[in-house]
Amino acid sequence: MEIGARNLARKVVVLTDGTIVGTLYNITVDYKTGALLNLIVRPRTEIPEFNKEENMYIIPFEYVRAIKDYIVVDRRKVRS
Amino acid sequence: MMGEISNFFGMKVFTDDGVYVGRVAEVIIDTDTKVIRGLALVEYNKAVVNSNAKGVIIPYRIVKAVGDIVIVKNVFKSKKVEQEQQDQQGQ
Repeated sequence: MEIGARNLARKVVVLTDGTIVGTLYNITVDYKTGALLNLIVRPRTEIPEFNKEENMYIIPFEYVRAIKDYIVVDRRKVRS
Repeated sequence: MMGEISNFFGMKVFTDDGVYVGRVAEVIIDTDTKVIRGLALVEYNKAVVNSNAKGVIIPYRIVKAVGDIVIVKNVFKSKKVEQEQQDQQGQ
Protein backbone atom coordinates (compact mmCIF):
# COMPACT_ATOMS: atom_id res chain seq x y z
CA MET A 1 0.00 0.00 0.00
CA GLU A 2 1.24 3.47 -0.84
CA ILE A 3 0.83 6.30 1.63
CA GLY A 4 2.12 9.85 1.93
CA ALA A 5 4.67 10.39 4.68
CA ARG A 6 2.82 13.45 5.95
CA ASN A 7 -0.20 11.26 6.70
CA LEU A 8 1.94 9.14 9.01
CA ALA A 9 3.04 12.02 11.21
CA ARG A 10 1.74 11.76 14.77
CA LYS A 11 0.04 8.41 14.12
CA VAL A 12 -0.25 6.23 17.21
CA VAL A 13 2.16 3.28 17.40
CA VAL A 14 0.78 0.17 19.10
CA LEU A 15 2.18 -3.31 19.77
CA THR A 16 0.40 -6.49 18.68
CA ASP A 17 -0.56 -7.12 22.33
CA GLY A 18 -2.44 -3.82 22.40
CA THR A 19 0.11 -1.69 24.25
CA ILE A 20 0.32 1.92 23.08
CA VAL A 21 3.97 2.82 22.52
CA GLY A 22 3.57 6.47 21.58
CA THR A 23 3.20 8.71 18.54
CA LEU A 24 5.32 8.66 15.39
CA TYR A 25 7.81 11.52 15.29
CA ASN A 26 9.90 10.69 12.22
CA ILE A 27 11.23 7.87 10.02
CA THR A 28 14.91 7.36 9.18
CA VAL A 29 15.70 6.36 5.60
CA ASP A 30 18.68 5.34 3.49
CA TYR A 31 18.84 8.14 0.92
CA LYS A 32 20.74 5.97 -1.54
CA THR A 33 18.25 3.09 -1.77
CA GLY A 34 15.15 4.75 -0.35
CA ALA A 35 14.82 1.96 2.23
CA LEU A 36 12.88 2.81 5.39
CA LEU A 37 15.14 2.00 8.36
CA ASN A 38 13.65 3.01 11.71
CA LEU A 39 10.58 4.55 13.27
CA ILE A 40 11.34 7.36 15.70
CA VAL A 41 8.55 7.34 18.26
CA ARG A 42 7.73 9.85 20.98
CA PRO A 43 7.09 7.60 24.02
CA ARG A 44 3.80 7.45 25.87
CA THR A 45 4.49 4.32 27.94
CA GLU A 46 7.78 2.88 29.17
CA ILE A 47 8.74 -0.28 27.26
CA PRO A 48 12.20 -1.45 28.32
CA GLU A 49 12.79 -3.62 25.22
CA PHE A 50 13.16 -0.63 22.89
CA ASN A 51 16.36 1.33 22.29
CA LYS A 52 16.04 4.91 23.45
CA GLU A 53 17.94 7.82 21.95
CA GLU A 54 17.43 11.39 23.12
CA ASN A 55 14.20 10.29 24.83
CA MET A 56 12.77 8.78 21.60
CA TYR A 57 12.25 5.11 20.80
CA ILE A 58 14.15 3.80 17.77
CA ILE A 59 12.13 0.89 16.34
CA PRO A 60 13.44 -1.00 13.25
CA PHE A 61 10.97 -0.70 10.37
CA GLU A 62 11.10 -4.47 9.82
CA TYR A 63 9.13 -4.91 13.06
CA VAL A 64 6.17 -3.04 11.53
CA ARG A 65 3.29 -5.42 10.86
CA ALA A 66 0.67 -3.01 9.48
CA ILE A 67 0.02 0.67 8.85
CA LYS A 68 -3.42 2.16 8.50
CA ASP A 69 -5.14 4.17 11.23
CA TYR A 70 -2.49 2.92 13.65
CA ILE A 71 1.06 1.67 13.17
CA VAL A 72 1.20 -1.90 14.48
CA VAL A 73 4.57 -3.23 15.67
CA ASP A 74 5.09 -6.98 16.16
CA ARG A 75 5.87 -7.51 19.85
CA ARG A 76 7.32 -11.01 19.34
CA LYS A 77 10.01 -9.64 17.03
CA VAL A 78 10.90 -7.02 19.63
CA ARG A 79 11.55 -9.64 22.31
CA SER A 80 13.77 -11.88 20.19
CA MET B 1 23.76 8.29 3.76
CA MET B 2 21.06 8.03 6.39
CA GLY B 3 18.59 10.75 7.22
CA GLU B 4 15.11 11.55 8.43
CA ILE B 5 12.16 11.54 6.07
CA SER B 6 11.02 15.01 7.18
CA ASN B 7 14.24 16.48 5.73
CA PHE B 8 12.77 15.96 2.27
CA PHE B 9 9.93 18.42 2.74
CA GLY B 10 10.64 21.67 0.92
CA MET B 11 13.87 20.36 -0.66
CA LYS B 12 14.57 21.58 -4.17
CA VAL B 13 15.12 18.98 -6.87
CA PHE B 14 17.63 19.41 -9.70
CA THR B 15 18.84 17.11 -12.47
CA ASP B 16 22.51 16.12 -12.72
CA ASP B 17 22.71 18.69 -15.54
CA GLY B 18 21.78 21.43 -13.08
CA VAL B 19 18.23 21.90 -14.35
CA TYR B 20 15.59 22.78 -11.75
CA VAL B 21 12.81 20.15 -11.54
CA GLY B 22 10.64 21.10 -8.56
CA ARG B 23 10.17 21.26 -4.78
CA VAL B 24 9.32 18.23 -2.61
CA ALA B 25 5.84 18.47 -1.08
CA GLU B 26 5.28 14.84 -0.12
CA VAL B 27 7.18 11.55 0.14
CA ILE B 28 5.24 8.49 -1.07
CA ILE B 29 6.20 5.35 0.82
CA ASP B 30 5.32 1.74 0.07
CA THR B 31 4.39 0.04 3.34
CA ASP B 32 4.64 -3.47 1.85
CA THR B 33 8.16 -3.26 0.41
CA LYS B 34 9.23 -0.70 3.07
CA VAL B 35 10.89 1.69 0.66
CA ILE B 36 10.26 5.21 -0.62
CA ARG B 37 8.27 4.89 -3.82
CA GLY B 38 8.54 8.43 -5.08
CA LEU B 39 8.64 12.15 -4.37
CA ALA B 40 5.66 14.39 -5.04
CA LEU B 41 6.83 17.74 -6.41
CA VAL B 42 5.08 21.10 -6.59
CA GLU B 43 6.19 24.32 -8.30
CA TYR B 44 7.74 22.09 -10.94
CA ASN B 45 9.56 23.26 -14.03
CA LYS B 46 7.01 23.31 -16.85
CA ALA B 47 9.83 23.32 -19.40
CA VAL B 48 10.97 19.94 -18.08
CA VAL B 49 7.66 18.22 -17.34
CA ASN B 50 4.91 18.85 -19.84
CA SER B 51 1.75 18.85 -17.70
CA ASN B 52 -1.03 21.08 -16.44
CA ALA B 53 -1.33 19.25 -13.11
CA LYS B 54 -0.62 21.03 -9.83
CA GLY B 55 2.16 18.60 -9.02
CA VAL B 56 4.07 15.62 -10.39
CA ILE B 57 5.41 12.43 -8.79
CA ILE B 58 8.93 11.31 -9.70
CA PRO B 59 9.97 7.69 -8.99
CA TYR B 60 12.64 7.31 -6.29
CA ARG B 61 14.80 5.14 -8.56
CA ILE B 62 15.91 8.23 -10.52
CA VAL B 63 17.21 9.89 -7.32
CA LYS B 64 21.02 10.00 -7.31
CA ALA B 65 21.86 12.05 -4.24
CA VAL B 66 20.15 13.75 -1.30
CA GLY B 67 21.79 16.48 0.77
CA ASP B 68 20.83 20.15 0.86
CA ILE B 69 19.06 19.49 -2.44
CA VAL B 70 17.91 16.37 -4.30
CA ILE B 71 19.76 15.40 -7.50
CA VAL B 72 17.96 13.15 -9.99
CA LYS B 73 18.98 11.51 -13.22
CA ASN B 74 18.02 13.62 -16.18
CA VAL B 75 15.28 11.44 -17.64
CA PHE B 76 13.42 14.50 -18.86
CA LYS B 77 15.43 15.08 -22.02
CA SER B 78 13.16 15.42 -24.99
CA LYS B 79 13.81 13.26 -28.03
CA LYS B 80 14.76 16.38 -29.97
CA VAL B 81 17.53 17.29 -27.49
CA GLU B 82 18.84 13.72 -27.49
CA GLN B 83 18.96 13.74 -31.28
CA GLU B 84 20.88 17.03 -31.26
CA GLN B 85 23.41 15.61 -28.78
CA GLN B 86 23.89 12.52 -30.89
CA ASP B 87 24.45 14.69 -33.93
CA GLN B 88 27.06 16.72 -32.06
CA GLN B 89 28.87 13.58 -30.93
CA GLY B 90 28.84 12.30 -34.48
CA GLN B 91 30.63 15.37 -35.79
